[in-house]
Amino acid sequence: MLQILLNGLSIGSVYALFALGYALVFSLLGVINFAQGAVFAIGAYLTWSLTSGSWGGGQLPLWETDVRLPFLLAAGISIVVCAALSALIERFAFEPLRRRKAEPLLYLVSSLGVAIVLVNALLLIYGAETRNFDLESMSFIPVLVEWGELRVRGIQLVILAISLLSLAALLLIFRFSMLGKALRAVAENQTTASLLGIPVHRTIVLTFALSGALASLAGTLVASGFSIPGPHFGLLFGLKGLAVIVLGGMGEISGAVLGGLMLGLIEAAVPAEYSGYKEAVAFALLFVGLMVRPQGLLGRRTLEKL
Amino acid sequence: MRANRSVQRIVLGGALLILAHSSRLWAVVQGPLPIGVAVSQTSNVALLGQEQVIGVRLAEEYFNSKGGVGGTKIQILLEDSAADEASTINAFNALLRKNVLAIIGPTLSQQAFAADPLADKAKVPVIGPSNTAKGIPQIGNYVSRVSAPIAIVAPHALEAALKRNPQLKSVAVLFAQNDAFSTSESQTFQEAVKADKRLQLGTAQKFQTTDTDFTTQVTEVMKVKPDLVIISGLAADGGNLVKQLRQLGYKGLIIGGNGLNTPNVFPVCQKYCDGILIAQAYSPEAPDPMNKVLVDLYQKKHKKMPGQFTAQAFTAVQVVVEALNALDQKKKITSYDLKDLRQDLNKQILSQSYQTPLGAISFDKDGEIVQKSFYVAEIKMEADNKNGTFAFLK
Repeated sequence: MLQILLNGLSIGSVYALFALGYALVFSLLGVINFAQGAVFAIGAYLTWSLTSGSWGGGQLPLWETDVRLPFLLAAGISIVVCAALSALIERFAFEPLRRRKAEPLLYLVSSLGVAIVLVNALLLIYGAETRNFDLESMSFIPVLVEWGELRVRGIQLVILAISLLSLAALLLIFRFSMLGKALRAVAENQTTASLLGIPVHRTIVLTFALSGALASLAGTLVASGFSIPGPHFGLLFGLKGLAVIVLGGMGEISGAVLGGLMLGLIEAAVPAEYSGYKEAVAFALLFVGLMVRPQGLLGRRTLEKL
Repeated sequence: MRANRSVQRIVLGGALLILAHSSRLWAVVQGPLPIGVAVSQTSNVALLGQEQVIGVRLAEEYFNSKGGVGGTKIQILLEDSAADEASTINAFNALLRKNVLAIIGPTLSQQAFAADPLADKAKVPVIGPSNTAKGIPQIGNYVSRVSAPIAIVAPHALEAALKRNPQLKSVAVLFAQNDAFSTSESQTFQEAVKADKRLQLGTAQKFQTTDTDFTTQVTEVMKVKPDLVIISGLAADGGNLVKQLRQLGYKGLIIGGNGLNTPNVFPVCQKYCDGILIAQAYSPEAPDPMNKVLVDLYQKKHKKMPGQFTAQAFTAVQVVVEALNALDQKKKITSYDLKDLRQDLNKQILSQSYQTPLGAISFDKDGEIVQKSFYVAEIKMEADNKNGTFAFLK
């Protein structure tokens, strides 16, 4: 039981981290940024390249360099780069649409287009083969942690700890900082927020940057704990993120956290006999969630005005 | 006047149609002789397919330097069968349109079940270079394989494990349920374990080739405290599974299936690859003359010993070339009609025996390989934990 709890919370906390990025953008603009799945993959590949010194290997020839950064430094750089990338995505794929007051569907299509372009760029650069972090680059993490019958790979505990700490820090920031207040104000009404002196545009860009940083962190954690199966793994994770925010309540930041943890626990609780189908579990939940409680666990039912 | 023009148009159209049809029917074999190769060159299966590409290229180079077929060169035409069945079907169709004499491929048994029937229906010989699942040669009269069925190869690894540790008792089996070959291989292992009085099957766990998180499966395996774990999967998922198994504290023996039988597993499980036992249908140390040829060619280009997938791909080309040469002795290959050549080639392939890098081989009436030499290798990782070797057990 405790084993399932630990297994579930470890992967669930990463789902939560990733979904939080969706929730942030959704709470501000009412749209899903599908490009985040691609940013997740880019974050993973970038951290891998910076630690291994290897670049390319797809259509671009493999380029081995002697510049190998320590894992933590590489992860930090990756987070910064992906934050900047997400800000650029906002600038080029969302802001022009917002200026024209476009329909929400067009934001979705635009972000999906960006996602596909980026994933195919990764395919061109890295190819479709699996990549694995050098075990030596993570030798500072204990391999196995045991308590009696309980066994957890050290990397899983690290994933859990980093994710939970990040989530806690972010929730505190949102609740008690000026940035958090600004986010809530812009989410409520952009025009009113602007009148109150809140820099709406900068707040939106910062939100995208933050979601990119979260995606990169999540990508790095998943890649280092398991592997990078190929460029498309970000898109699959993106779909799971979608299940999480539907489950937790779209637009609710706390809901994304709760939904992610719950999805992880439910996947871990799937009997081993059927664990090959755990992907189906996520989307079954999405379906059931939409049918039973469309506003999600913590979402508020929107007033419908005719 | 109008009626005459219509009649002329109909006659002209009909003539063109007949001509087009005739030229297809009466395709004549000319040099260089095209041999189709459909193996995986992209996706995770590329880890295996790339070795096969090397094997067929070395064979092309070697046999052409020896005169090809009666003085006519052979030409390898490559198509990418990627990882899935649809891509393999596309690759086979592309090769059939190019009027190849035979097709070597695909890389996975799963793909063979989907695509081999196309070639069989077109009456084109297919030689499976790495399709070891049950039922491959039975797909059709034109299907054969140079990769021995896992049912014959796998038990050698089990015997090696028991020799290593006669106290073995509890066995856990894990396999990729979405891969036909891994499932087939795993069934062979499970049956072998159940049939052996010394062993007890503790658990059988399933995963998917696309999985990266094996925590659930490994947790279940550890519960039965196995002395031996047998894994059937591909290099990426199988290697990752080995890594997580070791990281969660498993210290006993591990047998890897054919999908892990590639150097490309080394960067996946790194130091945790050390000690994996894998049954082999080929050894680079085998004394056969043609194996020395392959090893020399391979080392010259790649500075290391060839693996099983390279040797089996080389052997597949050798079989086609030697069968063509035998036919050429009776009737000039370049005087053949394509359709007749394909049929005669298939008969010839099945009726001959060959001295190959795999040892002496021949085929039964179904196209199943008859091979006598099998080996077991143990992975030995080097100090950098990124490179290793398959050290053959005595």
